[in-house]
Amino acid sequence: MKHELSPELLRRLQEIISYGFENAARGFAGMVGEKLSVVQPVVRAVPLQEIPILLGGAENDAVGIYLRIEGDMIGQIMLIIPIEKAFSIVDMLMEQAEGTTQKLGQMERSALAEVGNLTGSFFLNAVAEITRYEMRPSPPAVMVDMVGAMLDVIIATMGSIGDEVLMFQATFVFAERETRTDFWIVPDPNTLDKLIAAGEK
Amino acid sequence: MMNNIAVGLGEIKISRDPDDVLVAFGLGSCVGIGVYDPVAHVAGMLHAVLPKQNDANAPLTGKFVDTGIPLLLDEVVKAGGVRSRFKIKMAGGANIMGSPNVSTIFDIGNRNVESARAVFKNLGIRVEREEVGGHIGRTVRLYTLDGRMTFRVMGGKEEDL
Repeated sequence: MKHELSPELLRRLQEIISYGFENAARGFAGMVGEKLSVVQPVVRAVPLQEIPILLGGAENDAVGIYLRIEGDMIGQIMLIIPIEKAFSIVDMLMEQAEGTTQKLGQMERSALAEVGNLTGSFFLNAVAEITRYEMRPSPPAVMVDMVGAMLDVIIATMGSIGDEVLMFQATFVFAERETRTDFWIVPDPNTLDKLIAAGEK
Repeated sequence: MMNNIAVGLGEIKISRDPDDVLVAFGLGSCVGIGVYDPVAHVAGMLHAVLPKQNDANAPLTGKFVDTGIPLLLDEVVKAGGVRSRFKIKMAGGANIMGSPNVSTIFDIGNRNVESARAVFKNLGIRVEREEVGGHIGRTVRLYTLDGRMTFRVMGGKEEDL
């Protein structure tokens, strides 16, 4: 499916999405108790081959927190956190000294799942507020693996592949540290029309 | 000096250069299929994403297992390989989402592997080795020099396939 987006529509979509990302960042920051800013929320069609490169390489080890969007709109949410940063987020959540967490057991994974849950809900709430669509996140799944393997989940779930995938992406940068968390939203192509219609309002 | 040639999502890469290593990085549910002709020293790798190409009118690509495999074999023949000498190995097809919460999503990795096995069976070609399934991503390499194929999982060492 090919969607031709006019510059005006693209700008409007970007507004909706940015609002969602800002709210998601508030949720994330509130939970981990650290200031963070949202860098470059973008709506774009990304060539399939470029996705792993954008995320720093398909072989990089990372933590992925994955949720599906259900309701009036269907889509996927993936937070990708470099593995070391995920450890320090767990330390913050569990109020432990930095460097305490060295691997992710069940407790640590469930803490990270909560981060995904909260961030995803904040994002969807903000978008729902503008579009009036009803949406909710699925329970989160936490994966620890190579970035490429986690992207396969998104692509396989879409069930078909074009040469490009429409994605909404933002990077959260933590004020204190030079680390980043990539936050991706991948709308299902079949429900994209609804979002575009909301953008036209 | 080894030269990594990345085989991206849905791509097929062929090489006759003994310095080249064909690499599919971070395969999750995708499958990496390596073909090697040990006489002509031609190597080919496919990085297929989904089991079946449903649109019969669309051009054939390496995105799908069922159409990608014949394409891969043809490309290796075009580069000087001879079908009867092919050594074929396969890796990937994992289901990395371990969580029961979201596991209602069909196991695409398994379906990719099954699709590949069916295609090879139809063609009457034996797959020499498989490193498939499980819940972990793999990086797969095929060395043009000698046809060695390896895999590596997160935090692990490169192992022969």
